[in-house]
Amino acid sequence: MDDPFSHLNPHTRTAAQGPLEGLRVAVQPNLSVAGWPAEAGSAALADFKALEDATVIHRLREAGAHLCGTTAMSEFGFGLGASRAAAALVQGLADAELVLDLAGEARRAALRAGVCGFKPSHGLVSRLGLTGLIPSMEAIGLLASAIAELRRVLEVIAGPDDLDFSMPLEAAPDLAPRAIDPCCTTIGVLPEALEGLSRGQAEAFRARLSVLEEAGFALRELPFPEFARFALVHRIVGSVEASSCAGRYDGVRYGRRASGARNWNEMYLRSRAAAFGPLVKRYLFQGAFFQFERYSAFEDACRIRARLKAAMDRLAAQVDVLALPADSGTVAGDGLSLAGTYAELAPLLFANVTGQPALVLPPASGSAGGGLQLTAARRGDGRLLDLGQYLMALDGKGER
Amino acid sequence: MEFEAVIGLEIHVALNCATKMFCDCPNRPGDPPNRNVCPTCLWYPGAVPRLSGQALEKAALLCLGLGAELQPVSAFDQKVYYYPDLPKGYQLSQAHQPLSRGGGIDVLGEDGQPRRLRLHHIHMEEDVAKLVHEMEGRLPISLVDFNRAGAPLVEIVTEPDFRSPHDAMEFLKALRTQVRYVGASECSMDNGTMRVDANISIRPAGSQEMNTKVEVKNMNSVRHVGDAIAHEIARQSAAVRAGEAVVLHTRLWDPEKKATVPMRAKFEGPCVPDPTVPVIELTPAWIDQLCARLPEMPAARAERFVAQHGMSAEEAAFLSADPEMAGYFEALVDQEIAPRMAMHWLTTQVLPALKSRGLDLDTSPVPPARLAALLRLLAQDRVNAGAAREVLARLFDSDQSPEAIVRERGFDQVSDPEALDRLVEGVLAAQPAAVADFQAGQGKALGFLIGQVMQASGGKANPKVIRELLARKLGPA
Repeated sequence: MDDPFSHLNPHTRTAAQGPLEGLRVAVQPNLSVAGWPAEAGSAALADFKALEDATVIHRLREAGAHLCGTTAMSEFGFGLGASRAAAALVQGLADAELVLDLAGEARRAALRAGVCGFKPSHGLVSRLGLTGLIPSMEAIGLLASAIAELRRVLEVIAGPDDLDFSMPLEAAPDLAPRAIDPCCTTIGVLPEALEGLSRGQAEAFRARLSVLEEAGFALRELPFPEFARFALVHRIVGSVEASSCAGRYDGVRYGRRASGARNWNEMYLRSRAAAFGPLVKRYLFQGAFFQFERYSAFEDACRIRARLKAAMDRLAAQVDVLALPADSGTVAGDGLSLAGTYAELAPLLFANVTGQPALVLPPASGSAGGGLQLTAARRGDGRLLDLGQYLMALDGKGER
Repeated sequence: MEFEAVIGLEIHVALNCATKMFCDCPNRPGDPPNRNVCPTCLWYPGAVPRLSGQALEKAALLCLGLGAELQPVSAFDQKVYYYPDLPKGYQLSQAHQPLSRGGGIDVLGEDGQPRRLRLHHIHMEEDVAKLVHEMEGRLPISLVDFNRAGAPLVEIVTEPDFRSPHDAMEFLKALRTQVRYVGASECSMDNGTMRVDANISIRPAGSQEMNTKVEVKNMNSVRHVGDAIAHEIARQSAAVRAGEAVVLHTRLWDPEKKATVPMRAKFEGPCVPDPTVPVIELTPAWIDQLCARLPEMPAARAERFVAQHGMSAEEAAFLSADPEMAGYFEALVDQEIAPRMAMHWLTTQVLPALKSRGLDLDTSPVPPARLAALLRLLAQDRVNAGAAREVLARLFDSDQSPEAIVRERGFDQVSDPEALDRLVEGVLAAQPAAVADFQAGQGKALGFLIGQVMQASGGKANPKVIRELLARKLGPA
C-alpha cells in the first residue's frame, strides 16, 4: 500500500498527557502546524510553511494527541480528486483524521473508505489557521472508525476561540454521550432527498430505514419541496466566496510570483494562472462570472439560502434527527470537472449550505445498503453522535 | 445658459485607534516601512479578521456626532479589485449595510442663509497599503509598505446637496470640528487623516436633472477642495457650451497647474457580503451608553457661549471650533476669570506663544490654573497688562507661580499717586512740545505722555492712575 502522508511528523510520539493521550491524528496541509508544509494542495502555496499552530492544532497538542502528519489533499480541499483522506485510517496509521468539509468531502471520503465521517455545526470549531476556500460553508470534518473517537476529538477541538470572532458567542453544546431510547426517538425522512438517486441506491436507503423501524424508531416523512435547490445555491454562493477568498494568492506577499511580467497586471495574470489547478480555476471563473456578470443571480442564491436554512430548521425541530442518503452513486472521475465534483457530492451539500451538523455512517455489515447520513439542527452535534453510536452497535460494529 | 453645480462629497476619515481594524498591529502608518504587520493584515493563509471594538466605538461616536442614525444591523462586504496595495484582492468595506444612515451638517451658505447639507450614510472600511514608486537603476520598481494596510477608516458619503465650492469648504471645516470633538480623528487633510473626493456635475440653473458626474481626487487642503471644485465647474460648463458631452471618469487635482487632469480608471467590481466578519448588531443599550459619552457638540457650545458669556456669534463660533481651545477657555472661566479677559488672553497671548514654541494647548506648560492665577493679579491691579505679558513669557520657561515671579522680578504695579506724581512732573517738564500739542487739541499727545511716564516707571506704573494725574494737571484738551 502506498504512503497516504504528504508530510510525516519526524517525532514519533508526543509527551503531553490529556484526554487524547496516545491518539494518532492525521491532518491536512490546510491546517497550520508551525513549521510544517502548509501548501493546502495548491501550487499557489508551494513551499509555504505554517508560521504558527492553528487553534485546533494547539488544542490537539494540549490534549496529548500525536499529530502523525498531513495527508495529500485536493487543491484547497475542494473535491476528492487528489485527496488521500481516510487512507491513513484504513491502513491503521492514524486513529482519527481531520479533513476539510467544503461540499461534503470529509463525509464522502469516509463513505468511500467505510469509516465514520462527521461535519460539525458551522461555528463550533475555530477556523483560525485553516486555509479554506468557502468560509461560510466549510468546517473541519472528522474521520474515525468509531463514533467514540470522533466524539473524543470533537470534545477537544470544539468551543469558543477568542481569536476567531466569526464563531457565534455561545458556549459549546453538551457533547457528553447520552443513551438513546428508540421508542422515544423520531427520525425524519425527506422524500425529496431521494430524488436523483439510482433505483438501487434508493432501495438500499429504504432498506436501511426499515432496519431503523424494526429497531423501534419512529419514522416520519417530512416534505421539503425545495431540497433540490441546495446544490445550485452551494454552487453559486460557494464559487463566489471562493473567487474572492482566493484573491489573496497573488504572489505579492508570499507564494510564487511568475517571472517575465512587464507590469503588475501581467504579474497578477501570470502568477494566478500558474497558481491554480484546473478544477479550482473553473470554480473561481464561475464565481467571478456570478459576481461580475450575474450579480442578481448571486443575490437570489443568498436569499434562497436563507429560506432553505429556515425551512431546514423547521423540519429538524419536528423530529430528533433526520436521516438522508449519503451516496450519490457517482464518482467524479478525474476530479477535474465541476459538474462531476458536484454530482458526486450532491447528497452532502445541504449541510454546508445550512451549517448544520451531519454524520455519515458506513454501510451496515453484510448488507447491500448504502451509507446512512444523519443530521440535526445546528448545535445538535451531541445528539447526532449519540444516535450514530447506537446505530453502529445495531449494525454489529461493536459500539454501544 | 447659466449652469448650477451639483456636488457631493466622499470623505475618508482615519480613526485615531490604537490598533488596526482587524488585528492587533499598532495603527501607526508613519513608522518605518512594514514594521506594523502581522499574518492577519498581510492576509496569510489561515488568517481571520477580528474587528476592533475601539474602531467600532469611534466610528459609531463619529456617526452620532454628525447626527447620523446608527443602524441596528450593519455588515462588511468585500470590494473586489486587484492592486498591490490591497493584500487580499478585496477591501473590507460596508457597501450594502452601512453603520449609519442620514445625518447632516448646518453651514452658512454664500448668501448668509443657514443651509443643511445632508449625509447619505457613513460606513467603516479598512485602509490599503502605501505604494512607493522608485527606480532601481533604469528599472522602475514599486515598493509596498503595509503599515497602513488594515488601518481603520470611515467613509462619509453626502447627499448631492452642495452647490458651490463655498458649501464644500464650510462643510469640511464644520465636519473636521465635529469629528475632533468626539475624539475620533485628527481630521487633517495635510497629514492624510482626512481625504476628500468630490463628485461634480452641472445642470441648467433651476432644473432638477442629475447629469453625468466627474469625480475629483487628490486635494490636500480644504482650500484645494474649493479650488478644484471651482475649476471643475468651469471646465464642465465650458465643455457643455462647446457642445461636448461630460463623460463619467475620475480626475486628479494638480495644485501646481491649478487644474484637474484625467486619471486612468481603476477596475472595480460589485461588492459581495463578507462571510468572515460577523454581522454587527448594535443594541439600544449599547447605543445609549455611547450617546452618554457624546460631548456637547460645537454648535450647541457656541450657542451656550453667546447666552452665558455675552459673546458675539463669530467669537463663540471661533472659540468652540476647537475642543481644546474651548475647554481651556471654560477652565479659565471656572477659575472666575471674566470671560472677555479669558478669551482675549487665550487668543492673543497664549495661542501665539504656544505656536512660536511649537506646542499646543494640551501639552502647554501653562495650564488654565497657572494662567488664571496670573489673570487674577491683573484683575486685582497687582500688575498691569504689560507686566502680565512679561510674567506670562516667564511662565512658559519656569515652574514658578505668577505670584513668585511678580515678587522676585518686582513687577508689582505702582499705583501710589504720590510716587507717580514725581514721575509725571518730570515728564511734563521734559516734553513741553507734547504738552503744547495736547493743549492745542491734539488728543493723541496724551497717549504719548502716558507712554513716557510708563517708561520712566520701568513699565510698572498703573496707567489708569497716570491718566488721572495727567488729566488733572493738564486740564481738558
